[in-house]
Formats: sequence, C-alpha cells, structure tokens
Amino acid sequence: MKRIFILLIIAVVGCTAYGKVDLVTLPSRDTVQLTIYNSADMTLVRESRALTVKEGANKLQFSWANTLIDPTSLEMLPKANADRIDIADLTYPPRVRNLGLWNIKSGINGRVPVEITYLTSGLSWRAFYMGTLTEDEKTMRLQGYVRVTNNSGEDYENAQTRLIVGKVHILDQIAELARRQWPYGRPEGPITLGVPAPQIEAASRVLKAADRAAGIYAKDELKEIRKEGLSEYFLYTIEGTETIETGWSKRLISFDVDEVPVVNLYKYEQERYGDSVVRFLSFANDEKHKLGDTPIPGGMLKVYRSIDEAGHLSYTGQSAFKYIPVDEEVELNLGPVADVVVEPKLMDFKTENYEFESPGRNISGWDEVRTYTIEVRNTRDIPAKIEIKRNFPTQYWDISKKGDFDRFEKEDLDTVKFTIELKAETKKRFEYTVRTYHGSREEDWKQ
Amino acid sequence: MRGKKKILTVILICLVLGVVVQARIKLVALPERAATVIRLDNPQATLIEEERVLTLQKGINKVDFSWKAVSIDADSIRLAVLDHPDKVKLLNVSYPPNEAALVWEISSDSDYAERVRISYLLMNIDRLITYKAIADKAETGIDLKSFLVLRNFSGEDFDMARVLLDYGEAFERGIQHEETKQMLFFEAARVPVTKVWTFDAAKLPWDPEQLENQNVGIPVSYRILNDKNSGLGAFALWGGKARIFQDDGHESTIFLGEDVTGLVPVGEKTELYIGDSRDIVVTQQKMKDQRINIKRNNSNNIILYDTDEEIVAKIENFKDSPAVLTVIEHIPGQWDMEKCNMDYVKKDANTLEFEIKLPARGKDGPAELVMQYHRRNIRPGVQIPDVQFYGR
Repeated sequence: MKRIFILLIIAVVGCTAYGKVDLVTLPSRDTVQLTIYNSADMTLVRESRALTVKEGANKLQFSWANTLIDPTSLEMLPKANADRIDIADLTYPPRVRNLGLWNIKSGINGRVPVEITYLTSGLSWRAFYMGTLTEDEKTMRLQGYVRVTNNSGEDYENAQTRLIVGKVHILDQIAELARRQWPYGRPEGPITLGVPAPQIEAASRVLKAADRAAGIYAKDELKEIRKEGLSEYFLYTIEGTETIETGWSKRLISFDVDEVPVVNLYKYEQERYGDSVVRFLSFANDEKHKLGDTPIPGGMLKVYRSIDEAGHLSYTGQSAFKYIPVDEEVELNLGPVADVVVEPKLMDFKTENYEFESPGRNISGWDEVRTYTIEVRNTRDIPAKIEIKRNFPTQYWDISKKGDFDRFEKEDLDTVKFTIELKAETKKRFEYTVRTYHGSREEDWKQ
Repeated sequence: MRGKKKILTVILICLVLGVVVQARIKLVALPERAATVIRLDNPQATLIEEERVLTLQKGINKVDFSWKAVSIDADSIRLAVLDHPDKVKLLNVSYPPNEAALVWEISSDSDYAERVRISYLLMNIDRLITYKAIADKAETGIDLKSFLVLRNFSGEDFDMARVLLDYGEAFERGIQHEETKQMLFFEAARVPVTKVWTFDAAKLPWDPEQLENQNVGIPVSYRILNDKNSGLGAFALWGGKARIFQDDGHESTIFLGEDVTGLVPVGEKTELYIGDSRDIVVTQQKMKDQRINIKRNNSNNIILYDTDEEIVAKIENFKDSPAVLTVIEHIPGQWDMEKCNMDYVKKDANTLEFEIKLPARGKDGPAELVMQYHRRNIRPGVQIPDVQFYGR
C-alpha cells in the first residue's frame, strides 16, 4: 500500500494553497534504501526521486498519512545542481496532519534528482540461530538467520535492505513522534497525541497471517549479507534488493559455519543455579572457531544433535544469548541436566579459637572450620568440563584443599572456583577445608 | 495580516474636549500593521515589535489597543514614538475592566501621521534549535548543520515578519497560526570531534557475567568544542536535540544516535551521548575488604577502624581499533591510596578518573587496573559524613 505521496506544486505568485490541485508531477521513487535498527524501533529510509522543477519558486508537498514517519526527521537534498537549488524551508502547515511542504527556489528548469531521508517506525529485525552438534558434541554447525518485519504501514518495493547491529541512544520513540499532532509539539502546552495508531495493532494481526505464510519465503535464493563495522555498530547489507510489504516479514540466512569447535561446559553454583548442574555450550567468536569476522548479534539459539548417519536430529535445548564481540568467548546456557552430577557433602564441622571480651564475659570472636568433599560424576559418553563455584559468607577465610581437581582460582573476595575435566563416564573427588573468622578473630586473619 | 483574521487591533479615539465618556467609544481609525519583527533571542519569551502609523490630532488622543484569542503579557506592552518623539508624548496607559485591552493617552502638539512602534511579549510562539551532524568514517570530524524551527501557536497569523535571533542573519518569513517552519540556520564543515568511552563504576554493573544475557554497554559520546579551532566559536550554540549520522563509505549514512545538548558558550565543550559500545567490556571485582587498625571501647565494641580494600578491573577491547576509556571510580569518605598501577586524576574528594589507552583487540591482552586503598576512621553505625564542607 503506497501511503507516501509527493506532489510538486509550481507556485503562482501569491499562492498560499497547501496541498490543493496545482499538481504538476508525481515523481515516483527511483531507489529506496532501508537501514533498520533492532535496539530501537527505528529505520532510516533514504529514497531518491527525480523532481521536475521550474525556475523560480516551487513547492513540494510530501504526505505520509497512515505511516509511522517522524516528521522532524525529514530532509531533502538535491543530488545535482546543488548550488542552484535552494531549499528555503520545510513548512508543516496549520491544521493539516502528516504533510510537509518544501519551499524550493530553483535556478534551473528541468529534472533534479533529490534524496529524501526520514526515520520511520514499524520496521524491525531480529537475529536467531540454529546449532547442530555432531554426535560426539565436539563441533557444531552454526547457522545464523535474520528476520525482517515490516509493520510500518508502507510497502517498500525493491529496497536495498541494511540492518544495524548495535545499541543507539535515542531520546524519543519514533512511533510517538510520528503520532504527534504537531511535529515539534507546541510551545509550553503538553504535546498532545493525535489519533492513536490502530494500524500497529491491525498490522500485527496481519503479521500473524504472514507468519503462517512465511514458508513461501524459505524458498528464496540465498543472498549474501555483507558485514562491516561502523562506529560502535555493525552494518549488514543484504545483497540486491528486497520487497517487504507492510504486515509481512522475511527470513534471510546471515551465515552458515560448519564444524565450530565447542566445549561442553557444566557449572555448579548453589546460590545461582540451586542443586542442579547447568549445561553450557562454550565457544569463542574467533578464527580458531571459524568465526570472528564480525560480532554475533544477540538472539535465540536452538541446539540440536545429530544422532545417526541418516542425519536424524534430537533437540537439545535452547538458549538466548547476548551480543558477542569478535574474540569474546560465549557460554550458552542450555539449562539443568541430570547426566552430570556434582555432590558436595559437609564431612566435618567444628568451632575453635574462641575469644572473650574479658575473662568471664561474652564471646567476642571464634573460627568455624568446615570440611567438604565434592564428588563430580560424568555419566555421559563424551568428555565434560565442570566448573564449581563455592561462595563463603565472609571475606575472612582460609582454604586448604586436596584430591582430584584440575584448577583452583580465587574469583573474588568471597568466591572460589574449582575446574574439573572429566573423561566420558568417569568421576573425580576432592576435598577442601575452609576456616572462616568471625567477630574479633577477623583481626587475626591474614591474607 | 490578512483581513480575515484581525486579532490585534489598534483603535484611535479622538477626544473632543469636554465630552465625558461613559461607555468606551471606539473606532476612529484602524491603522494597518507595517514592519513587524519577531524577536526570538530570549528562549523564555518572544518579543513582537510592530510599526503602525497613528493619525494624531493636536491635543489629547486616545489609542485603544486590544487583543483576543492571543495571549499577551499586558504589562509588557510598550509604545515608542518614532517620528516626533519630542512633540508626541505618551501621557498614561489605562486598562479597561474585563477586557484584553489598554488605552494609551497621547498628547500631540500638532496633527501628525505618526509612526509608532508597539512591542509586547507574545505567548505560544517560539523557536527550537535542532542539529544534524554527519560524522566521517574515522569519527574524527563532523559536518554540522543547525536548523531553526519556528512554532507559532500564538493565535496570530504573520504574513511576513522579520525574524531576529541573537546571532546569525535576520530573515523575512511569514508564519501562520498553528504552523511550524523548519529552516537551515547554519552549517559548519569538518568540526573536529573526540570520541569518548566512559565506564562509571557507580552507574554500570561490575561483573557483566552476572547478568544473564545482557550486554553492559559502555556509553559513547562525541566531545565537541565550541571554539575557533573547531570552525565554531563565533557564538554560543543553543541547546537542542542533535541527531548524529555517519558516512558509511557507500554514499549513504547510518544513524548513530541522538542526544540533547544544553547551551554551549564560546570556548566550552558539549558531550553528545550517541549510544553504547558492547565491544569494550569492563569486569570489576573487589578482591579484598578487610578491617584494620581497629579501636575498641571499654565494652570491647569496635568504635573506629580503617579498611584495606583492593579493586581489580579487567578491561577488554574487542574492537579492531584502539580506544581511550575513561574509568570513573568512587571511594567514599576519607581514604588513602596505597597502591595503584595506573595514573588517575582526582576529580573531587571521592571521585577518581583514569584515562586508559586500550590497544586494538589481539594486542597485549586485556588491561588491568588494580588499586589498593585504605578507607580511614570509619565509625560503625555512623554514616560517612558528607565530606563537602559547605561554608558558612
């Protein structure tokens, strides 16, 4: 549905009519480019049109009823003869909604290519992923997709489509700016909204129909997505052009990488995950992992596992993940599991080294000594790496440890981490004793 | 002003001596508005100046100035006599009851067609300033455009008026009631900008890993100086909304972000927050927090102590270009720095600012800021006093 119209009005001296019948040409869009953001409901639209102007004063009327364009973002620039085309002002006439009028002083007769840019709401995109683990779970095929949705109220035909990965700072929602009765509000008084925007709800209903029909798009030819960094953002440019009618969405493949090495990482931290071991899939967005060309936008990853030669799959789980910069490691939380087990047991508890305020008076300090054994079992037929975090209720503590663990680290002032690598169907066991200092005994603690 | 909408009217009443006016008799002449000036140099109020020619008779003249459907500050209305200021005198001003009007009593020593200038503060007409900047690909400079937005919701139509601001050229424009006009106000090419990343430990989470699936964005700003070296500096930049775009190298732009700037006097800087970087990651942890130098009272309760604290911040740059990160740390109360592996500037008693140069990713690994300090003379249960001393 075309909702953006341009009328060119050759001004008759004294003519003050807005949007009347002095229509001379109706220039259509020659090209259109959409730059769609996902951190905000915002798209930068850049369209080129060729106007036919006459020497002298020209008025160009631009109207956008039933769309979600921010009128304050409208800008027109001549792309040729710029020194002879003076765009004197952009007027938002009184008592007319969704209409702007450019006053143009032209030094030439004829066609002038112009570029019109504006921000609109209603177009969006999101990333999502499919991961397919090999049987031994050492590598994963990772496929990234983007899905672009148009709820803007305007059909964009043959649009060059670009997607921005990044978090922009905006002051006002574009949809709110689009619904203002007066583009810049009015002095003092509160900014009143004009009509509510029923088309958004209507469009989302239409979208559901489009969801059902999304299968048709799955047969599209694969297009390349060019990726490049700009400022703090990444720009994805989809090869060729796309036509996305309002209410519809489109899925495109962003990348497809096979054999990404992955580590099966299991974590245990009672305070955070309860008594269950939580499974993570870990890899890095770098060259070693056949990735690392660009950051990976956040999205939902559904993980499957190949279970036989015939390519049958089993669904492992899903995880939402955040934006992954180049070279950063990622840990995808696939949820609690029962096939890797961590069992801490308190084996001994005692208190000692009591101190008193003075003989015969109250206790002022003491130590508590706890000994734990931790048994870690991998019941799976593939190796596993397990991280166990233990938190202490105070920063005044000493630890001694022995047994079968691979690495020990102090994480922060009251947290330690044990790392254990387990081969398939094996178990390990280790022990630690922690002494915590309380009351006046804290003063005797030495790091 | 078009005939269909006469809201401000000036009515000249010639008083015949000896006549006692009971009801107010109006309408003797209706002088047309001549040159009109809309003066927008004060953001709080808009001053309108309009010239009219009054046909005055020798003696006392009464001029009635009334308005409806517009909001005028009645106390702001002034009348200036332009042609014969020595011979034509404004004697007094009176306000009729229950009317949006006033009456000037003017004495004239002869018959004149006298030019006068009437000025008043008119409500609901103002201007906004907006900025649009396009940064180059390297983000070292911007092409800056400033737009003036005139908003007229005053109730009055101005067919043509001279619009004056506190700087820049005056221009002629007409603007109707409920009309908004946006026009290019000034342009400056290649204005240098400095890109600034800031991690403030009081505002951002310390350990991004603790946040499930959320990136901690490091705020990114462009710093712009309003001075001659920047190609600016001729006048203060008015506050307004700034939208920043960037040249994408493909004859197009992307939108980087927007912020609102306050007034930027000449020589001062403004910082426009454009968005968040997710490619710089700061993980800060407290590695030590121990009470030392404990003092007790006779009941053996702790009454005074110091602390020994250690903060470690790991800073990773995943960008393929170097960056300078400003890290702001806060230490409350009285304190002494014992060890710190980086230089800092003390911004105030409790705020430390570090400028940390981060190489591009893959070079030298993450930077690590380690600071160990003692907080002094802490009294249990007593809040840290405000160390700022507000003098008497």
